[in-house]
Amino acid sequence: MQGIALLRAMLLIRTFEAALTRRRDHGFQLLSEGQEAVAVGLCSVLGARDQLLTSGRSIAPALARGLEPGLVMAELLGKAAGPCRGKGGRGHLAQRSAGFFGAHAVVAGNISIAAGVALAQQQQEPGTIVACLFGDGACGAGALHETLNIAALWKLPLLFVCDNNGYSVSTPRSEALAPESLSDLAAPFGIPAREVDGMDVVAVRDAAQELAERTRSGGGPSFLECRSERFASHSTAVRETRSAEEMRSLRKRCPIAGLAARLEAEGILAASERKRLEQEVERGVEEAIRFAEDAPYPDPSEAVSDVI
Amino acid sequence: MSSDAPPSSTKLFFREAIARALREEMSRDERVIVLGQDVAAFGGSYREFVGLYESFGPARVRNTPVAESAMIGIGVGAAAAGLRPLVSITYMDFLMLGLDPLVNYGAKARYKTGGQIEVPLVVKTTAGAKGQGVAHSQCIEAWLMAVPGLKVVAPSNAGDAYGLLKSALLERGPVVYVDHKRLFPTAGEVAAEETPVPIGKAALRRRGDDVTIATFSFMTRIAEQSAERLAAEGISCEIVDLRSLAPLDMATVCQSAGRTRALLTLEEGQLTCGVGAEVIFRARESLANLRTARVGALPAPVSSNPILEAASIPDAARVTDEVRRLLAER
Amino acid sequence: MIYKLVVPGPIEDVEEVRVLEWHGKSGRTFEPGELIVELETYKAIVEVRAAQRGILREMLCAAGEWQKVGLPLAVMSDDGAEALPDSLAAAAELAVEFEIN
Repeated sequence: MQGIALLRAMLLIRTFEAALTRRRDHGFQLLSEGQEAVAVGLCSVLGARDQLLTSGRSIAPALARGLEPGLVMAELLGKAAGPCRGKGGRGHLAQRSAGFFGAHAVVAGNISIAAGVALAQQQQEPGTIVACLFGDGACGAGALHETLNIAALWKLPLLFVCDNNGYSVSTPRSEALAPESLSDLAAPFGIPAREVDGMDVVAVRDAAQELAERTRSGGGPSFLECRSERFASHSTAVRETRSAEEMRSLRKRCPIAGLAARLEAEGILAASERKRLEQEVERGVEEAIRFAEDAPYPDPSEAVSDVI
Repeated sequence: MSSDAPPSSTKLFFREAIARALREEMSRDERVIVLGQDVAAFGGSYREFVGLYESFGPARVRNTPVAESAMIGIGVGAAAAGLRPLVSITYMDFLMLGLDPLVNYGAKARYKTGGQIEVPLVVKTTAGAKGQGVAHSQCIEAWLMAVPGLKVVAPSNAGDAYGLLKSALLERGPVVYVDHKRLFPTAGEVAAEETPVPIGKAALRRRGDDVTIATFSFMTRIAEQSAERLAAEGISCEIVDLRSLAPLDMATVCQSAGRTRALLTLEEGQLTCGVGAEVIFRARESLANLRTARVGALPAPVSSNPILEAASIPDAARVTDEVRRLLAER
Repeated sequence: MIYKLVVPGPIEDVEEVRVLEWHGKSGRTFEPGELIVELETYKAIVEVRAAQRGILREMLCAAGEWQKVGLPLAVMSDDGAEALPDSLAAAAELAVEFEIN
């Protein structure tokens, strides 16, 4: 995926999440402002038959994976038109047919699941990979280490992607994890790893491409650490602990502004085209909201459907 | 045997019944795989997987490290993505390590994805006290019964071990199949023809008129021993082997208890929030004038100490005492 | 003298066994130490060896059949021509050694 498409994809996430949080009924959300390049760079190298599993910070990867914004919004607003019939919400957003096997809201809870999906795909869809996106907050969990071990032993076609934004809610990495470089976590298992600037979508794409190709061609699992910055608090339910000054400083590294500037400098994107692009994305998000608002809620009887 | 008709059943060791169910399903469907500690060439801790590795190979019968959380998670994910795995957890105690992937994903996947994803996973595990100590003795079936989306079955004999495992392997969703250490030394008749035993259906093990004993797994044998002793005293026991804990077959229990008007539940696990608590409460919802009692483990961990273990878990003496006490109540 | 070859024991947790393989046919003489029959328990194979000389006269349980611990598997005798009794109730047990593998 090239420059303008990458920019559009990141703009969509930023615009969508901003529109969502402006609503009174926005609900309990984990957002990706500042981290859009990780989701977009990763998804740009996934094929139609690959699968992506994520943590609860699912909106950015779902949109980057190509899910229709209207369907995502419907799911977030609890409407039956959502891919999970409104029953999963953001924490369990999934559209398997679109290669988005889904989010799981338990921190590190999707990692061994992803390895199982990779085991199945290894047998049933050779040449495909499974990517599992998780945060630095998941790196203290036994589930990660157990899964790294098995993935390496069984040479599973699994791409571990750690979106390291340096914080687990309010806890900085230095207080939660002994290694500074999270890509080092893969080393004991002999899994090749890369660390990349998560604010640079092109760098993320290129690193993901290299590792994905290796994993896709039977090379076993790979590990990509993306160093990103979280531009807001962990979730809509929790306050930010960093200073306003620090937050202002972080925003200077905006992945969207960064790519736009680069494209303009390279003569690929004129300022007027950028404006047009932003307006196009805005309209798309407005359409998504209208679709979701018009869609009906599930019948209360669905509280007990699809259980067993 | 001179008859030309094929036998309707064959006698097998308990472990062979398990291997047979797996062999049939693995032969029929290449998506069925086995994951667990020591399941491959070793043939399983109870030799219950003997022959499968040789027949189906290392891609389908895989040894795993000691990592129950990841193993169940991988089983859940593989099932969600199109395989039909059986994950073997040697001791039910260690199922606890895998409760997050089993409960939070396995049992909820179909619901939380609005039906997009189903998890045809069997977790096979062995419960029960047999001299191995506080962390290798537990019967925690009751904990699992409360999980919406999870089925739980427990055979008491080789025939049902075969039939229930077969049914479990054919289910759309996750099933925990629980056998028992003390069942492995037993042998029993197993249907000669391929025959699943339905999940959600209890079995009448003994007909009687004075008291209904609702039980499952190894305790079914304790119930049978108790019934023999009580018969000599003129007390006639009806034994309902639940076989399926989730869903429970309350129709069979109530049909029996409706006649005897005395219901005793017998389990090896804890009584608090146990199988018996659920069975009796549900029975009382349907039947008035019911005398009830529960027998289960003492409220303590089960030590490997033979004196203490014997004191902790129910035996025929304790059951017969409780039946007499129950029947003496007005 | 007539002997009954019984399923040896006690073996922990074992109530019954399945005959795996007879190592000889009717009429064979087993010397002390020779393997007479292999039995399957729920978790192991038991090798039953003669601890005294004896001639196998009649197998009561064929390979694949079941028998409980202490109950007869075969009739044996010192002399191949000795008449077989109607009941083994009075017969002595053949001395054997057994090894669990």
